[in-house]
Amino acid sequence: MASTLNPATFWLAFTFGAHIMMVNLSVGLPPLMVYYRNKGVGDPRFEYVARSMTRVYAAIYGLAGVFATAFTVFLLSFYPKFIGLAGHVALVPFSIAIMMIALHFLMLALYWYGWDRWSLTAHNVIGTLLVISAFLIPFGFRAVFAFLNIPTGLHFDAAQGKFYLSVTEFLAHNPTFWPFYLKTIVGALTATFVVVAAGYAYRYTHSEGLVKEASGIVVRQMLGPALVGLVAMFFLGLWYALSLMNIPYKFNNIFGGFGWKVGDGVVTYNFSWAFALKMFFYLSQLVIVALAYKAVRREAEAIAPRAKYLLYAGFSALATIVTGEYLNAFSQYPWFIAAVTDKKVVASLLAEVPPQSRGEVASYLLQVLDLRNYNTIATLPGVTWLTAGFLAFLIAAAFYFVYVLLLKPGGSESSY
Amino acid sequence: MAEGLLGQWLQAYPAGHLRVLSLVGIEVHWAILQYVLGLSFLAFVARLIYLRTHNEHWERLTRTLVKGFILMFALGAATGTAAEFGLVLLWPNLTEAAGDFIYFPLYAEIFAFIMEVVFLYMMWYGWGKLSLKAHTAILFLGMAGAWYSAAMIVSVNAYMVAPTGIVPAYNTTTWHFMYAEGYPKFTLHVPLRLILELPNGSKVSIPTLKLLNIPLLEKAGMTVVGMNKAGNAVVVEMPVRIVQRLVFEMYRGYTVKDSILQFVVNKTYVQEHASLAPILLNTPVKSIVEPIVKQTVRDEGVYSVTFKSPVYWASIIHVYGAAITTSAFTLMGAYAIRYLQYRNRRDEDYLEYVRKAFAFAAVTGLIVITMQGLVFGHEMGRAIAIYNPEKLAAMEATTSQLKHTMTGPFRSLFEDKLMPLLAYGSMHAKLPSYDAIPKDYCYCKLSDKLHQMNPSIPSDAMRGLVDCRPPLIVHYLYYGKVYLAILLGLYALAAVYYVWRGWPNFNLPGWISKPGYAMPILIQLVSLLGWATREIGRKPWTIYGVMTVDTAQTVNPPSTGEVALVAVYLIGLLVLLAYGVYRILWVPGNPEKA
Repeated sequence: MASTLNPATFWLAFTFGAHIMMVNLSVGLPPLMVYYRNKGVGDPRFEYVARSMTRVYAAIYGLAGVFATAFTVFLLSFYPKFIGLAGHVALVPFSIAIMMIALHFLMLALYWYGWDRWSLTAHNVIGTLLVISAFLIPFGFRAVFAFLNIPTGLHFDAAQGKFYLSVTEFLAHNPTFWPFYLKTIVGALTATFVVVAAGYAYRYTHSEGLVKEASGIVVRQMLGPALVGLVAMFFLGLWYALSLMNIPYKFNNIFGGFGWKVGDGVVTYNFSWAFALKMFFYLSQLVIVALAYKAVRREAEAIAPRAKYLLYAGFSALATIVTGEYLNAFSQYPWFIAAVTDKKVVASLLAEVPPQSRGEVASYLLQVLDLRNYNTIATLPGVTWLTAGFLAFLIAAAFYFVYVLLLKPGGSESSY
Repeated sequence: MAEGLLGQWLQAYPAGHLRVLSLVGIEVHWAILQYVLGLSFLAFVARLIYLRTHNEHWERLTRTLVKGFILMFALGAATGTAAEFGLVLLWPNLTEAAGDFIYFPLYAEIFAFIMEVVFLYMMWYGWGKLSLKAHTAILFLGMAGAWYSAAMIVSVNAYMVAPTGIVPAYNTTTWHFMYAEGYPKFTLHVPLRLILELPNGSKVSIPTLKLLNIPLLEKAGMTVVGMNKAGNAVVVEMPVRIVQRLVFEMYRGYTVKDSILQFVVNKTYVQEHASLAPILLNTPVKSIVEPIVKQTVRDEGVYSVTFKSPVYWASIIHVYGAAITTSAFTLMGAYAIRYLQYRNRRDEDYLEYVRKAFAFAAVTGLIVITMQGLVFGHEMGRAIAIYNPEKLAAMEATTSQLKHTMTGPFRSLFEDKLMPLLAYGSMHAKLPSYDAIPKDYCYCKLSDKLHQMNPSIPSDAMRGLVDCRPPLIVHYLYYGKVYLAILLGLYALAAVYYVWRGWPNFNLPGWISKPGYAMPILIQLVSLLGWATREIGRKPWTIYGVMTVDTAQTVNPPSTGEVALVAVYLIGLLVLLAYGVYRILWVPGNPEKA
């Protein structure tokens, strides 16, 4: 295990974890914002909900963006050769993601700042584009992640001496892409429902009047979909797990500790504990949400005694996301592409390479795809300390910001 | 003629459609970024005036500017992400090289981004919740984050314009080019020992000076300067035509047997170490070039190498100046429109605010555009004259192929006296002649020999580099910028005159207020032309003297149709943004929300 931790993998894991936690809420919140915006026409309770949700969303999205940028810059600095390779072959999936990111940022800015400046129809069009782009950003990125599971569609053009990606073949034949993508969307929506229920349950117990009433309604509305989502996640998670049987290295690292193994049955790094932890978080929120749903379905007063449990469920939802993502990433360590450990996959890829170049190509791929081969001038002690200092500052400032945003009195609720 | 010039730019160098897409993508980002840099500065100054005067109009202006700043920051972050991924996808070898060798400013830029996000949010959501002084400090830190970010990114761009260690080809004593002597050259620190990996995984250390045929390299133009400070590397000035070829071979994954390196190996040494020969031949060029570049970067300073680019300081002050100028002129246009809308209404207080804001923008605009022309732009021009003489020759069109924008008797006075004085500080200096630049100065002739031996290996002449000289279209881009900037400077001067004459209740004549509608577009055009001169004028180089565009580009380029689609998409977003900002901040007939 000691060899898995170096400055490069540590900073990548750290920024990725923070980013992925926030970005799941970025997928789930836009539909809710648009829904409550429309319910809020002529109803100040829902108007309050829509505005407060959008305000928090804008803050979360900005912070998620910072961590995403940090992640990509770290990736470039620590693993420039991998970025070079990815840049040559992954044009389409990355392009989808970045075009949607650009659209999403613009729509968010227009939606938030233009609240009173657009007609309701125009505002809804912007909101709809916000929702669509939120769902399509992970489409591009999950395609990249699925490619990192199994590089389906990757070919070698012997005439030109280059790798290229057949996108249609990838989409049709990568066994991990569709379960991964659908699991991501449903998981993000479910986690958001739980976190929103938790947040408004807290607000319910700390407010009076209109805010309290609105918060109570939101909690009661969120728990049903959250429960449905949690049940759906069981099946989607199972589907993804089954798809991972195509990559014995990864499957065995995740499930080998429970005795579930495929292929050669070798467990290189045992991450079953992370899967168990994830299941603990998943099941605990399932139980809390189910019990809370039963209790508050009929009366809003039942929220108050369950608020702290719902807060724990919200924390569990975020923890489930982080442990799940870490599990997915760590279980293929030290390889950027998990299937590089599969002799059949490698052999079929190298079969397209002219025999005299196979050794060179194989050696190049193993060099570039190995997380242990990081750029040593980017991990100098000075850089590591600088990174730690700035990230500590960011986290402290982010906490202060959340305090100013949510708790500090003064200012204006409608400061948009 | 325009068609011919455009054709030269698109066809004389590889990857034309990718360059167009990059130009669009980065320009969209740059158009927005200037407001992030400029509006933050103007907001900070407006707040300082408010702290001094306690006049609410200045607080109102601060709030409007901050709102614009935050809106632009959000969009700048989005387009920055698009630009970042665009670079990775279209120019992956450039990105890889940046990550490998000059990663630090890109890495450090993330901390600037963190500062911006944290302080911008705190500034906005903390309005009314924090004390005025604390809030002003946060406003300053938000601005500092943006400026710090620019300082990092511009250092990388400056390095691409003139990398640290470049030795230009134009002799500023004799006023002649020195291509025959192998210039321009790039300074490299060659480690005394090269470590090569054997097929069995073990490593062998080879004395570099014995391995290479130094006399042959010197004959090819290499100059040995001496040892580095640590005494573990030899400092040499290598002709860029050799450097770019080696970098090309490195990113194409060549081994020594397919490289020009085989011609400069000391054959006697290899014969004496016969077992080395097969290993050497199958060694990737990357394994030899990368340690040399890394040694060079280490000796120059891992953290500071890009900041030592000889054009860095001129570049960064020019960028800051451009950002403030663009923001100030846009603001001037915006408040001129407001003035037109409100001059006949009875809201005297709002009109007074509009007048103050216009005056603020006009005075700032006049000061900064003057500084840009006389100081910042001048310094940039001097740096280019020394370190990018080929670009200067194209900018000044010192060629018989093209009609200069300036004709008649002033032309010779301008070219023979004034420009040499401005560029080189002496009226006796001579501008570099475009016609004296060999069309193939960037070709490594050894590549012809290589191609003859193995026809599957392209010589430099076969790589799509039709012309090593910069495209002449930059002459029109540059002078278009200069003339338009002078016009806008005169406009600002007239505006300030009317403000001064009638202060505080001045009236603006129609010819001052009505151009307000066009002002954001005109000032952005000036900026675009300047940026285009800088970027287009560097061709065929991506990193001057080190990497050409064909080396930098992806091996799987998108089709022209796909590129066009993405370009239209990006431009569409920019148009939507412009309309959105207008609606949000400037809905006709309504005062902007304070």
